[in-house]
Amino acid sequence: MSEFVDFALEHLPYILEGLPITLGLWVIAMAIGFCFGLVLAWARIYGGRLAYGAATVYVEVFRGTPMLVQMLFIYLGLPEIGIVLDPFTAAVVAIGLNTSAYQAEYFRGAIRSIPRGQMAAARAMGMSDLEGLRYIVLPQALRRVIPQWSNEAILELKFTSIAFAIGVSEITARAETVGFTTFRFFEVFMIVAIIYFVLTGTVAQLLHWLEIRTRIPGLSQTG
Amino acid sequence: MTSLLEVRDLHKRYGETEVLKGVSLALERGQSKVVMGPSGTGKSTLLRCINHLNPPDAGTVLLDGEELTARNLNAMRQQIGFVFQDFNLFTHLRALDNVRIGPMKILGTDRKEATELAMTELDRVGLADKADSYPAELSGGQQQRVSIARALAMQPKVILFDEPTSALDPELTGEVVSVMKQLASDGMTMLVVSHELGFARSAADEIVFMDGGHIIEQGPPDRLFTAPEHERTRSFLQVIAAHDHEGDGGTA
Repeated sequence: MSEFVDFALEHLPYILEGLPITLGLWVIAMAIGFCFGLVLAWARIYGGRLAYGAATVYVEVFRGTPMLVQMLFIYLGLPEIGIVLDPFTAAVVAIGLNTSAYQAEYFRGAIRSIPRGQMAAARAMGMSDLEGLRYIVLPQALRRVIPQWSNEAILELKFTSIAFAIGVSEITARAETVGFTTFRFFEVFMIVAIIYFVLTGTVAQLLHWLEIRTRIPGLSQTG
Repeated sequence: MTSLLEVRDLHKRYGETEVLKGVSLALERGQSKVVMGPSGTGKSTLLRCINHLNPPDAGTVLLDGEELTARNLNAMRQQIGFVFQDFNLFTHLRALDNVRIGPMKILGTDRKEATELAMTELDRVGLADKADSYPAELSGGQQQRVSIARALAMQPKVILFDEPTSALDPELTGEVVSVMKQLASDGMTMLVVSHELGFARSAADEIVFMDGGHIIEQGPPDRLFTAPEHERTRSFLQVIAAHDHEGDGGTA
């Protein structure tokens, strides 16, 4: 056991140097997914036929194909039509576009779950649909979506590890390097698993705290 | 002299059913009218067509002589208050924020001024002490009064009430009716869809009786309640009056 601790302490600094990359991938991709996901949800609920159709095709394609394939396509396939991205950017774009599709569906469900009377009251006051969405519907929908969004955030945090396939030096890639230099894969991947476990646990706790903090008094909402 | 609100020949159909078959109505400044009639007659549809929550198929709505169109819709709606049957208070906002959000976000009133205005309106409906409560923490009657304050905060020219007491327990209708009576006597222009006789008898300038998508007759409550011209109006009012006596009737 103490041998494991010594080994961990020796190699942890090197692996953790990849932590900013892992977190960077995750935060940027989740932010892309949040913004683009909202646009997609808007298009699928309020958009005309064209916007609805385009958003639906997008969501189905990205949910229906593996993220690794999407990432390889972006990193290795796009250069053939002249779009060359560095590995980090390619990974961020891939994860971001993928999570957009999922987040869009969660947002859509949450927006739809807000009673129609809320938007009617906003319109009746003279708000435009966009104002009604921004001030009335979204603040309620986003509260409701926290549990699902939390799952998605944790899932994507783990999915950042596939960026190692295109040479992004995040924690999994670094762990693999340590593995191949020490040939102690068991310990190395144990360490990296613990790191992910601590990260996902922290994120889950933070979002759960946010859910409770933003709960509307008097309204019984089950999480 | 143009009427404050003029409705000309409104038509609305849902699929096969024609709900409004040409309804015309005028409301003078400071006037309050109550629309009555059997359910399914198009009373609520009429209100929702006036502010285009359900856009009418044909006909025009004029506010102060200006026609409501798709173009000026939001600006016109700011001047037409609407009180819903099921309140539709914004559930994530405290009573105070429900009332001041309109002035702040739509009219661009600064926060301090909007807060003062909102407190004045909450006070007017007797709920200044509930400013920090969320809708789910309020009774139905209190929620409806907050929603009236919310409409008032936009300083509308007219307020439309869509069955404001029918989602309330009988013992809670009284507090809403008395707020509405106060508004009417303060000179607010009001168009009210309601079977609440207490308000209709003592605060309405005119009763409008609708049936089958038409206005059958209209007139001052004294005349309409005692000597209606049409048999349909008479029999409807009898049913309503009987019902009112059966219930507590104490809302007048």
